[in-house]
Amino acid sequence: MVSRMGEPADQLPVGLEACRCLTPFGGAEATVAALLAGQRALQLTPVLGRDGGDLVPLALMGPMDETLPPRWLPAVHALAREIPAGTWGAAREPVVVTSSNFGVGSMYAFTRDRDARHLAHGTPCNTVELLRRELGWGAHVHVFSHACVTAHLGLAHAARLLHAGLADRVLVFSFDFVSPFVAGGFHSLKILNGGLPAPYAQRATGSIGLGDGAAFAVLSRGAGPFRLMGHALHNEMYHFTGNQPDGRGFAACLKSIAHVIGGRRVWIKGHGTGTLEAGRLEAEGFARQFPGEPLVSWKGSLGHTLGSCGLVELALAVAAWRGGEIPGTVGGLAPSFTDEVALAPFAAARFDGALLASNAFGGAHAAMFLTHD
Amino acid sequence: MTERFIHHVRVELPPATEAAAEARARLADKFPRTALRRMTHLGLLLGSTLDGVPLTPADAVVYASSYAETRALEDFLASFPAASPLLFQTSIHPGGVQQVLIGRQQPVARLWPLAGGARLVEQALLTALLEAAPCVALLGGEERGTWLLEQGYASERAFAFAALLTREPVGAVGRVTFTPVRDGADDPCPNLVRLAVALADRTALQWHGAGGEWSIVWS
Repeated sequence: MVSRMGEPADQLPVGLEACRCLTPFGGAEATVAALLAGQRALQLTPVLGRDGGDLVPLALMGPMDETLPPRWLPAVHALAREIPAGTWGAAREPVVVTSSNFGVGSMYAFTRDRDARHLAHGTPCNTVELLRRELGWGAHVHVFSHACVTAHLGLAHAARLLHAGLADRVLVFSFDFVSPFVAGGFHSLKILNGGLPAPYAQRATGSIGLGDGAAFAVLSRGAGPFRLMGHALHNEMYHFTGNQPDGRGFAACLKSIAHVIGGRRVWIKGHGTGTLEAGRLEAEGFARQFPGEPLVSWKGSLGHTLGSCGLVELALAVAAWRGGEIPGTVGGLAPSFTDEVALAPFAAARFDGALLASNAFGGAHAAMFLTHD
Repeated sequence: MTERFIHHVRVELPPATEAAAEARARLADKFPRTALRRMTHLGLLLGSTLDGVPLTPADAVVYASSYAETRALEDFLASFPAASPLLFQTSIHPGGVQQVLIGRQQPVARLWPLAGGARLVEQALLTALLEAAPCVALLGGEERGTWLLEQGYASERAFAFAALLTREPVGAVGRVTFTPVRDGADDPCPNLVRLAVALADRTALQWHGAGGEWSIVWS
């Protein structure tokens, strides 16, 4: 199942037939317009929703407290209406669902309300069963969950299925909605605090925000104006929540994706959550491997959409490129960790492609290369 | 047809009543003492199945678990409103395998954690066969829940398995094959515990799914 001698299938191109997202600002075009205007969706919100707690920056599509049916279902339906027609979930048109949260907010709701109906969509497989029923998908729904690089895995897996000849088209669907479970978790790690995120900024205290997000992509082997040319993945396994201090994990992933990019000019959408150490290592890694190429993060506005961030931000990259202007690092502050960090929007026309990267717990690194004809 | 050769199989199928503390005592010699006390039941079992197995940074890991870190999830939920940072990071899929690999300081090229349901085994095998790495560690497992089990949303038993898949036939103990077939209805897919038992007993498995015929056979 390797399409060319010695070249892994996930370094072969696939076409993006469709790629859309939903954020608190709305669809991809509305979100890009808000980013270009420097708007923040993040608002200071009690970390445990109706249970109170410290105020932390969250970008939500509605109240965070879980409901019956789950609060994310209407948004998922709204997004799903934009998916091109297909026999999704059939063996030749499989679905890949990627999330780090699935319905875990329903488990938190159960522990508060003791209403067992919440649990019917609390586990990943039960959440996906609900999606299958609601959206009419067949049995072939692959489910990946690898914290904040999950969507990258789904896209890379889809490319492999296509190049192995095992699928004609693949729908990659991702959604993550913030709950007290995950907000409380990041708050306990002290990186979700009262500060608004300023990605890649040199400052005394780092902070992240969390955000609701959902997105999908339909991939095929056919050519399209937008193509994913390849993926790189690397797992440091150095520490649960930290990276190798010399940045070698970032370097390993970027070196791999640099082979796919070749000498082409790229703009870079980094992970850029607003943490200090990882932000510095990431920005320095990009500057070493791709000197002079502009680096942006949009999580200072939208918050971190967790396992879905790779796909949400891919949809935004596509929409921004279509519009000709790439949003800068909303919420960023000078001085930044490197000169490459772009705080203001810039024109897309002079670039050959975009490098989109994400990171996760365990020192997981993921990157993909997007091009536009 | 695509095939991979099975070079190492180890399965942990302790009695359903085994508690994490019992597993910790039983498997203590396999882990550094500092790591041992923080490891979950699933992490301990996965670590045991990978004990002594050499992996390199060029290798890949495919990890399948429907419920993953059930006990950490239950305990993290119980820790509110003073949420526990340790339980939070441990509860996140793929925490079970990360406990093991971080304990070994073992980087890997790619880690594919799956969390599906009825066709999880088939999807994990497909992910492994699509992987270009010279050696793929196929891991899987669950741990027994408490209140989530009472509600029907957790595994009834803890178990774990590891199988190393390569393209090298010499010395292999078995073989996984997938033959694409355009037509044919899906058979029921073996579940994760069924695969674990088949790996332990060297039982052959065959079924149709994901657009092809699957077989696991033993030498």
